[in-house]
Amino acid sequence: MHEIIRLVNRNLTISLNMGFVIWQIIFPLIYIFVAGFAYTALIHQVPFGNKTLDYPAFIATGMIGFNIMNSTLISGIIIWNDRRHGMFEQILVGPFTRAQYILSNVYTIGIIGLVSAAMITAVGYPLFFKQVEFNVLTIPLVVFASITGSILFGSIASIISTRLKSSEGFNVVINTVFLFFAFVSTAFYPAQGAPPILSTAFYFNPLTYLVDVVRAGIFGYFNGLVATEMTVLGIGATVLFLVATKLLSKLEL
Amino acid sequence: MGRKESILLYSIEINSLSKSYGDFIAVDGIDLKVEKGKIFGFLGPNGAGKTTTMKMLTTLIPPSGGKMNILGIDGIKSPLEIRKKIGVVLQQPSYEPTLSVEKSLEKYGMMWNVEKKIRKNRVEELLISFDLADIRKKKNDDLSIGQRRRVQVAREFMHDMELLFLDEPTVGLDPSARRGLLDFIKGKVKDGLTIFFTTHILEEAEYLCDDIAIINKGKIIAVDTPADLKNKFGREKTIKIHVSEQKDMSSLLSGIPDCTVEHDSGTVLTVRSSQSEQVLQEILKILASNHVPVEDLSVVPTSLEEIFLSVVKNSNA
Repeated sequence: MHEIIRLVNRNLTISLNMGFVIWQIIFPLIYIFVAGFAYTALIHQVPFGNKTLDYPAFIATGMIGFNIMNSTLISGIIIWNDRRHGMFEQILVGPFTRAQYILSNVYTIGIIGLVSAAMITAVGYPLFFKQVEFNVLTIPLVVFASITGSILFGSIASIISTRLKSSEGFNVVINTVFLFFAFVSTAFYPAQGAPPILSTAFYFNPLTYLVDVVRAGIFGYFNGLVATEMTVLGIGATVLFLVATKLLSKLEL
Repeated sequence: MGRKESILLYSIEINSLSKSYGDFIAVDGIDLKVEKGKIFGFLGPNGAGKTTTMKMLTTLIPPSGGKMNILGIDGIKSPLEIRKKIGVVLQQPSYEPTLSVEKSLEKYGMMWNVEKKIRKNRVEELLISFDLADIRKKKNDDLSIGQRRRVQVAREFMHDMELLFLDEPTVGLDPSARRGLLDFIKGKVKDGLTIFFTTHILEEAEYLCDDIAIINKGKIIAVDTPADLKNKFGREKTIKIHVSEQKDMSSLLSGIPDCTVEHDSGTVLTVRSSQSEQVLQEILKILASNHVPVEDLSVVPTSLEEIFLSVVKNSNA
């Protein structure tokens, strides 16, 4: 078995405990079914491209991006845990290179991101199936968004993992980042109608691009804005991945 | 000696190995040879350069200068090739908090690409050898420091290796677990494994090691077998005498040459001498002539710990 596959196997084993899996399903389900139906009284319908979506369908698709972010931020902290529990050095005195370690984390994050997206798509499907317009051109959008989004948020978690030393600091930063990304985005509510400052802030948040591209894929809507958002997502993921790799390769032992 | 012959004889050969951090020299041009199939003890006070040397030898950090040949492989050119053949138990704890003890062992074997069937057998063997069978289902996070250390050391024996680096492996272990581990290591050496071992516990080094090096301030200050180190640096012996009457024994014995009084409580006297036999005879003669009855006496050879302290003190001076 190749070194990277062995490391990915190990990463998945330590990350995917029952609590993590349940949390990954329960947490977005609460938003989809509780917030989705409760807020329907306030937000009836949301315009999206050439369509008008029911709010439960809007939030269910937003939760796909949200879950990718949530799960990859968590799996991205494998590096933090490895450093904290001495496994980073232990792995690097084993039959692995730093490059293999870094790549194994990227693959782990990608796998967890895709699986998370699939799980939420499956559980949220009853809410948006009426408006779904999958086709050969739009399905790749969902896959693209899942992969680039996973790498982007996984890289952010990795960067934070390499820069911070105390557990308290790490938890504060991760929680702050999570709150900003989660709620200053189009995952829960549309940018249209939000105060101008907030709707501008939405577009400084990669989760907005991620959920917009996921929705574009699911509801079969593609235009120039979606193409721009895909480009931003791709460039963001690439740059952050390179920064994370550079920081990891320079991490002192 | 030819190159090929040298590779067969030594698991580690290092020449002028050094490591600097800015102006600070952590390891200052050390030379060492570790014979294959032997246990090599690496001793030194805190901050002497032990862990930095260990990190260079395990290819975790690159040296600033010098050469190192591990298992016949150039440590600077081919670090990965070396890491595939060695095992390392680092000083700092390392564990996966969410895994159980047996899963930790199993996954570690998987990471080293050990066949599934072999892994399964080794897990069972190690759980017994390291007295972990009762806690096999416990998660690492719930273990005591000593239990976690046992798992960390046991885990390293999941894979095959030619050379094992142990950095203070017995830290946190109780005396029985410590002795069990040392005996387990001895057994592995009989099977051909070479061990590079650092410790602060000198009794362990004496019990386990075939050769010992002492490092201080980044330099090797002594290398030899424990017995030869004692012969070289530990000619002095300690004589301890118990008498039943309170006497000023220091004054009585003050005329004996090469006799240093270390402690005198009136009834218990401790002296050191490099000519212990003659000095003991003199002491007994003087005590008898002064009618001082001796209750008990003992002559203790210098311990490795005393040698270590003396060698380090001389090097600091």
